[in-house]
Amino acid sequence: MTVIAVPRTGGSAYTLRAVIGETTKGLLLLWRRRAVLIMATVSVGLIYLMIEFFVGAGRIDHGVLAATLPGLFAYAVASSAAVQGCGGIAEEINSGTLEQAHLSPVPPSLLVLGRLGALAAEGLIPAVVLTAAFWTGFGVHYTVRPDALVPVVLTVADALAYGLLMAALTVAVSSIGALGHVFNMIVMFFGGIFVPVTAYPHGVVIFARFVPTTLGVEVLNTALAGRGLGAAWTDGTLPWLLVHVVVLGSLGWYIYTFNIRRARREGGLSA
Amino acid sequence: MAGYEGMAIELSGLTKTYQRGKQPVTAVQEVSLSIPPGQVLGLLGPNGAGKTTTIKMICGLILPTAGSVRVMGFDVAKQRSSAVRQIGAVLEGSRNVYWPLSAWQNLMYFGRLKGLRGAEIKPRAERLLSELGLWERKDEPVSSYSRGMQQKVAIAAALITDPPVILLDEPTLGLDVEAARTVKDWITHLARDEGKTVVLTTHQLATAQELSARIAVIRNGSVIADLATGELLSSYSEDRFVVRVDATRDGITALLPAGARAEADAESTVVTLPDTGQEALQGFLAEIRAKGIPLVSVSRAQPDLEEVFIQLIHSDSGSAPSADAERVG
Repeated sequence: MTVIAVPRTGGSAYTLRAVIGETTKGLLLLWRRRAVLIMATVSVGLIYLMIEFFVGAGRIDHGVLAATLPGLFAYAVASSAAVQGCGGIAEEINSGTLEQAHLSPVPPSLLVLGRLGALAAEGLIPAVVLTAAFWTGFGVHYTVRPDALVPVVLTVADALAYGLLMAALTVAVSSIGALGHVFNMIVMFFGGIFVPVTAYPHGVVIFARFVPTTLGVEVLNTALAGRGLGAAWTDGTLPWLLVHVVVLGSLGWYIYTFNIRRARREGGLSA
Repeated sequence: MAGYEGMAIELSGLTKTYQRGKQPVTAVQEVSLSIPPGQVLGLLGPNGAGKTTTIKMICGLILPTAGSVRVMGFDVAKQRSSAVRQIGAVLEGSRNVYWPLSAWQNLMYFGRLKGLRGAEIKPRAERLLSELGLWERKDEPVSSYSRGMQQKVAIAAALITDPPVILLDEPTLGLDVEAARTVKDWITHLARDEGKTVVLTTHQLATAQELSARIAVIRNGSVIADLATGELLSSYSEDRFVVRVDATRDGITALLPAGARAEADAESTVVTLPDTGQEALQGFLAEIRAKGIPLVSVSRAQPDLEEVFIQLIHSDSGSAPSADAERVG
């Protein structure tokens, strides 16, 4: 009988290599569709500009701009993560590459971290470009201190958790992508990109705080207004933001792994 | 685990039932197969027979309802991580690789996906791309390749970690003659020169006959035949003879027994006698001897795999000859 040397099982570093490989693949695919990314960035920028003119009754109100720019940052990350999260998974289900990815010895629950790494880059590029353009272009004044990085990181994490949740839902229902645009509109409307969330009636504010990124934008506004994270902790927005990130992230991760297992049970990893 | 000497693939009572609405639909039922290392198994069956489901259960991409799969000794359900390291797969009807990326980027990705280091992947990627004739265009997006080249990239991606088990689900589907030839040559090379175990599904039965040492036919989710290719063909050979004579078709028409068929080519005429055993043959040979017609050859008619397949699929009984893996391996 033929004797074949079985490939070695490898060390624990293989997981890291596979996760990094997943991120690298996402970035390479992003580079291939860079024209789409540029057009999307310009579109979001123009929409934001129109909103600002509309809210300012035909002129740019610097106070409103300063209060809503964090909302634009958060929306750019969240909408990109959701759209690309949904689109990426749907495309991979249709092309059969999702099945190939699941021939990896690394569990899907860890591989998805690599996918999130690429989604983060894809969301942060337009977010940073647009925020920097409006910030410097209109001379917006913020009190920038290192502690402002905390809500920035948490807001990005919240946006990615939202993207993961949308990707997870796409594994079960590939047509969810269309619904994703509706969810993105909700994030846009209640995420503080039109006016600061606190300008809404109390009941709407309560609802809005359940929407991804809204709490992050509130805390970011508090930090950038120079009131420090202590104020955000005291008014309850920072602790609730932490809870929101953990709950949304856990929900997205759980639904993703659950739906992948369900797809393996039902033969749904490919179209 | 170097030097593994057990079965490359062992399927034991493998069953898959899908719930379609309120109706359970059994796609694969009690399939048991043992495939030794280095063997090419052709897994054949009509559409919806359960071939792809079986292949995907071997990969761990579909969870079985019952039964077990072992690949190089690893249980796919319980030792998934180790089991999938042994497998390279090209799956049916899908791209298998990322078309926006180049061939090189795909191979680097799939190598890393299996946990290999870049330094381990590069020399193998170079070799695979060179041998498959893709090296010159390795940096171009796969979407710009011909269908045959895209399939070659999928095969290279499946082989990038040098796995001992290769699963090929319709690998020549949609390929032109030349591309299909290259893929077939590679499958032969993988089995003969590299000792890979190959499970091949295809509707191109001539391809299956050419490449497979063993054929398993699956119908309605159950294996209805499992034999070495030669044995399967001979077990369905009939008492039918082919006589080649040095004469024109018209010259022997009057001598043909009832049910015989004559076809002329440039040099001779081939007569296929009906399935009536030695009697028809002896009678016909006596006739042509009496007429002084030169005899070129006499042989037993050998059905091709397509004929056997059709017979098997349309047979009423659910079972047909089978042999255990040791006998055919």
